Amino acid sequence: MTPEITEATKGALEERAAVKRREFLKVLGVSTAATAAVGCGTTDVEKLIPYLVSPDNTVPGVSNYYATTCRECAAGCGLIVEVRDGRAIKAEGNPSHPVNKGALCARGQSGMQGLYNPDRFRGPMKREGDRLVATTWDDAIGILAQKLGEVKSKNGGSKVAFINQHEQGSFPSLLDQILSGYGIGAHLSYDAEAPVAVAQANKAAYGASWPHVEFGAANLIVSFSADFLDGWGVPVPQQLAFADARGKVEGAPRFIYVGARRSLTGLNADQWIPARAGSELAIVNAMLGKGSIAKAAEAAGVAEELIANLAKEVRAAGSSAILAGGHTANTGELAAAVAELNKQRGNVGTTIKPAEGYNAFSGVSSAADLRALVEKMNNRGIDLVMVRGANPAYTTAPSLGFATAFVNVPFKVSFSSLPDETTAMCDLVLPDHHALESWGDAEPVDGTLSLQQPTMDPVFDSRSTADVLLAVAKSDPAQAARYGVADYRAWLANRIGGNAAMRAALPTALMSGSSATRTVSTARTPAAPPVQGEGEYQLLTYLSPTLGDGRGANKPWLQELPDPVTKICWQTVVEMHGETAITLGIEDGDLVTVTTTAGSLTAPALIYIGIRPDTIAVALGRGQSAAAGRYAVSGENAYGIMSLAEDARSGGAVYGATRAKVAKASGNQRLVTTEGSGRQHGRNVAQATTVAEIIANTNSVEHHRFDGQASTDFLPGLRSPVANDAQGEFGVPDSKDKGQYDPNHWSGAAKRRWAMTIDLAKCTGCSACVTACYAENNIPTVGASWQGPVLLPDRTGFGANITRSREMAWIRLERYWELDREPKDVKFDPAAPDFETRFIPMMCQHCGNAPCEPVCPVYATYHAPNGLNVQVYNRCVGTRYCSNNCPYKVRYFNWFGYGEPNRSQYAFPEPLNWQLNPDVTVRGKGVMEKCTFCVQRIKETENRVALEGREMEPDEFTTACAQACPSRAIIFGDAADENWSVAKWAKDRRAYHVFEELNTFTAVVYLQKVNHPAPSASAHA
Amino acid sequence: MATLVQPADEPRRPNIATADIQLPAVKDYEQVDNEILAILQPTKAWFFGLMGAMTCLGLGIFSWAYQIHQGLGVAGYNPPVMWGVYIITFVFWVGIGHAGTLISAILYLFRAGFRTTIYRAAEAMTVFAVMTAGLFPIIHIGRPWKFFWLIPYPNWRLLWPNFKSPLVWDVFAITTYLTISTTFLFVGLIPDIAVLRDREKNPLRKKILAFLSFGWRNSEREWRHFARAYLFLAAFSTPLVLSVHSIVSFDFAMGIVPGWHTTIFPPYFVAGAIFSGFAMVWTIIIPMRKWFNLRHYVTLNHLDASAKMVLFTSLVVGLAYAIEFFIAWYGGVQYEQDYFWNRVFGQWWWAAWIMLTCNMILPLSLFSQKLRRNPTWLWILSIFINIGMWFERFVIVVPALSHDVEPWQWSSYVPTWVDYGLLLGSFGWFFMWFLLFVKQLPIMALAEIKEIVPPRMKKAHGSHHGGH
Repeated sequence: MTPEITEATKGALEERAAVKRREFLKVLGVSTAATAAVGCGTTDVEKLIPYLVSPDNTVPGVSNYYATTCRECAAGCGLIVEVRDGRAIKAEGNPSHPVNKGALCARGQSGMQGLYNPDRFRGPMKREGDRLVATTWDDAIGILAQKLGEVKSKNGGSKVAFINQHEQGSFPSLLDQILSGYGIGAHLSYDAEAPVAVAQANKAAYGASWPHVEFGAANLIVSFSADFLDGWGVPVPQQLAFADARGKVEGAPRFIYVGARRSLTGLNADQWIPARAGSELAIVNAMLGKGSIAKAAEAAGVAEELIANLAKEVRAAGSSAILAGGHTANTGELAAAVAELNKQRGNVGTTIKPAEGYNAFSGVSSAADLRALVEKMNNRGIDLVMVRGANPAYTTAPSLGFATAFVNVPFKVSFSSLPDETTAMCDLVLPDHHALESWGDAEPVDGTLSLQQPTMDPVFDSRSTADVLLAVAKSDPAQAARYGVADYRAWLANRIGGNAAMRAALPTALMSGSSATRTVSTARTPAAPPVQGEGEYQLLTYLSPTLGDGRGANKPWLQELPDPVTKICWQTVVEMHGETAITLGIEDGDLVTVTTTAGSLTAPALIYIGIRPDTIAVALGRGQSAAAGRYAVSGENAYGIMSLAEDARSGGAVYGATRAKVAKASGNQRLVTTEGSGRQHGRNVAQATTVAEIIANTNSVEHHRFDGQASTDFLPGLRSPVANDAQGEFGVPDSKDKGQYDPNHWSGAAKRRWAMTIDLAKCTGCSACVTACYAENNIPTVGASWQGPVLLPDRTGFGANITRSREMAWIRLERYWELDREPKDVKFDPAAPDFETRFIPMMCQHCGNAPCEPVCPVYATYHAPNGLNVQVYNRCVGTRYCSNNCPYKVRYFNWFGYGEPNRSQYAFPEPLNWQLNPDVTVRGKGVMEKCTFCVQRIKETENRVALEGREMEPDEFTTACAQACPSRAIIFGDAADENWSVAKWAKDRRAYHVFEELNTFTAVVYLQKVNHPAPSASAHA
Repeated sequence: MATLVQPADEPRRPNIATADIQLPAVKDYEQVDNEILAILQPTKAWFFGLMGAMTCLGLGIFSWAYQIHQGLGVAGYNPPVMWGVYIITFVFWVGIGHAGTLISAILYLFRAGFRTTIYRAAEAMTVFAVMTAGLFPIIHIGRPWKFFWLIPYPNWRLLWPNFKSPLVWDVFAITTYLTISTTFLFVGLIPDIAVLRDREKNPLRKKILAFLSFGWRNSEREWRHFARAYLFLAAFSTPLVLSVHSIVSFDFAMGIVPGWHTTIFPPYFVAGAIFSGFAMVWTIIIPMRKWFNLRHYVTLNHLDASAKMVLFTSLVVGLAYAIEFFIAWYGGVQYEQDYFWNRVFGQWWWAAWIMLTCNMILPLSLFSQKLRRNPTWLWILSIFINIGMWFERFVIVVPALSHDVEPWQWSSYVPTWVDYGLLLGSFGWFFMWFLLFVKQLPIMALAEIKEIVPPRMKKAHGSHHGGH
């Protein structure tokens, strides 16, 4: 890779911002010839495959894969980025990476939309009046150098602050080193998502801030508001371990969740104890024998029996894994108590493994540190502040007053790559490269370096902050000697063991070594006493599982991804229990005003059974200002009603310590939800069993039989009547004309039966598969306000198309409540608050006998001999009969020209369209589309093995959803070949087909979810 | 002709018209020609009516153009409700189209006397209704410019439509029906066009009419051929009355959607089609007989007879509803049971009750002879039945789709102004053709009326036309 920018490429880069894909392809040939003719020395070279010199074998149309490190959260997962013709097109997990082992969450995958975000800064800017105007890098760097020079000459280092988005690796060290050269203290490593309180307590108790939790070694998992499946902590490894444990079925741990709101983690639990926020500590103390269970139950607002049983179960469990999260100012204390409990139960070393811990939160600053900086800014103690990536102007409680303090600082510099509220106030913007364009490193687990390398030339005229700082430092004669390197890459290579070692490591981006985490002063800023305010409700403002602290909000994939719990997208809702709704006299969608001491917020109500009646919840991350980009403005800003709250021990931010008043407001809004009915109505879409039933062999996977009909007791392999319907004559044994459907046909087309198994015992409903599918298959997002029907004033606003169920997700995560009545009618019972939730990914089932096929008048959908149900976009006229006839409702229609650049509904505004997968058609207006089982990957592999003259290996490739799945619940392959994993899993005792009674002979086999009832309750099974 | 009884008022009994007293107020052939052809004179009211129809059509055209440009998303589709107002309106108009052929062909074969004065209007209505219906499958598809892919035409790619698809059957059914009913209408018109030709002064119009009448000379031979052709076409059209709507019903019955997948649909749809067709005949003919002074042609006896037909088909339709419910319960399929419950008592209760009220309850009033002979009531009832039958199709299409097998995808449906624009446009299109027809060609079959008017052979001026 040679991603350095030269004068020669700069022009081309600016040009490229405006080049459309079609033109791009059109001039491809021409310019290749032109390049050959004029050589590489002129400044006129147009680069279509944007390399100065083709670094490795860049062949047009053939993908290269670069290993790098994900920077979407602090965890530091490994990525393999697919690059086609010089454009990164997809991010997948790096299978050899110790953290994520090949899996990747939705946010990690959406890094792609940060890279190609249409609102990204095009180049450096400086403030003129109240506007930021474009400038040159020389000018911008000059200004910065001058400012820093002034600092040095005036000895004003103490009046300068640098706020960096918390990250691992060498950059923070370089940053501190350069800052110290100007007499500036260590930078603030800010991360609104970091569970600082828990990390601090862990560090004190276990010696590791984020130990690895080996769920598989536990018999019982207890989470005290620790939302380890909602993006809290290090999401992917936690989910991998959890799903792995639960997938064991027999011997899998039972899981109890204690918390006021049942998060996604909570929904995955076998039991929910809805303790009031903040009361978890009392419960843990009671379990430790430091308090009475009755008192704890009273504080928690649940029946005493629940707590007593919990204590009993923990005692009886043998090895258990107990995790602490928490929402209130006693979170640090809670985490310490839980650590004590783990120690007492002997879990440390068996389930809680500090030695295999993660470094994600080493060196992170606390909210109290940020507050100290704000105080300093307020006291005119800061003359120059620099910020990079972090967005404290948005991600803090208004009472902190960050924005007002920040705006009054005489000079503010931003290195952020993407626009946000904080950067909008700055005087100088020096946009950093996106992580996928940069060099870097991380040490996610001790002793392993995960390297970060540019996957492509920068999209815009940005510059690596490290390079900018090095350039500034080198311009200072006093420091120049220290930085005798060409750039940050060279600096990094020197630091981690030399260029050769680095080059050797790049194919996997992994090497052993240490980035020597920076030293942070141990003197902690004392926490401020929390401002609770008044009101009858506890307000939980929680970090969104899809948007995090809001940094995902400018990415349409994440906005469109339904929240795994509420299934709301593009919208902010106030979650409340049905009883609360009755008290307030409201229904789903009615507007309510939430008032706290900090402010008020009006948003539609969402009735949610998984929350205490005395608690309401609002997800953080939406409702940003226009400065944060066109997508981030959707919804309401829940930070605005959050009061300043810090954990009493560590000063880390906590998000559930505010009291609120709720009142009905006038009007209502349609909920932007993808949920039709949240209950199964006895239809057995998502089935479940218990371990006891499996052992007793009574788990009821019914195979319906009817006299005179073909047996439905089949494998999804060739024995199913795959081609019966497709060819008609296949059912007639005498017929000679079976075409490609003949198993002996020379093409071997009917040899395979592509199929999939989905293990519901592992699936947590995280929805990473959904985003993977969007990324792989060029699925348009349809929820932006300008994408709705233009002449329908009543339907405008974010999510207008989704209120009409027009989302295009080829794979969707259905979330069913196992209830016998509507959730809003469920009363809260402190003695028996529990309810079961089932998640099931639903996509085209590739039926052997597909109802969609015979009804298409033009054969736009037909059956392929290898079992695929094929959709031919070019042939489709759009009668939509196939969708009507599909029992699974997995066919999606292009209501508007989402793929047409000249339309308001265009889903891929430049340069988002650069991400489009060239192997997949962007569908036109008026045609039907659906899951193809990633037919492009099937074809690619078939072509590859044909070229290499060999047979396909079992499990040689997989679909995008299966690849991404951080639960490893999805397995894809050839069910006709016993050597593929899918053929084995399809024969599992838990295997069933959805709506089997319809004789659709689906190729997707689900494995029943496994519930783990309480030991006493399991007796009746 | 024995009877010379010419009652001053129309008799209340017997209800069944006989040849003797069918048109007591029509005295001779000339009166027929004069009175019927007088309608052809354009009037101001007609002109404004035509303008109104064309305005509605213009709105429809605008809606369609907007929809083609923007995409189907401007209509109210709300997946999984992938079919909506357009398919409802399609089935509605195909249904309307059935009464015409039923009246002109089946009732002709059964020698039902009351058809004579209304069949021309009904037949024209059929042709225009099928023309209207035929537009909707094109309007409703995502890429209307590719609609011809549904037609089996030879092409070098050897691509054929999927003959298993009910939508392809639809193409055949509709085109066949349109062809036959147009031919039938036209053949019946030949002697009447000859009358027009004979009276026409304008040489150009005369030429055109001469061409269209095939040089009709009123000879015995021509009448013999004409009668044969007419009988043949009547026999040919009769099965179409049953088949076309059966095939339209297959659009639903062939699907595995709960609420669609039922064998009762073909007879149920045919009965409903005849029911709605008769209602539309009333909607048209009752004002016409008033405005054009044709009360002595379309007599209360005729309306009474057609009212019995409506009552009968209403009862058939009502029985079909009942059987649907019974089978849903008796079949024991949960999906069906949930769907029917949701349809009548759940989400869509209002649509179902509009349907039940208009199609089952209100027509029961026709058990009263007094109301059967009250044109105002019949007209009001016809509007209710039109609405009710539109909602019947709504209730079939929308609730079934909105409440399919997969609960996670249940949803609702609200049409937009584009849907309504095209619905209104379809009425504009239909009435534009009908109004143009009214002023160009005789709205009643001159020749056939003359057949039932007693010839006055002893009168000095003798007979001009027809006779046997």
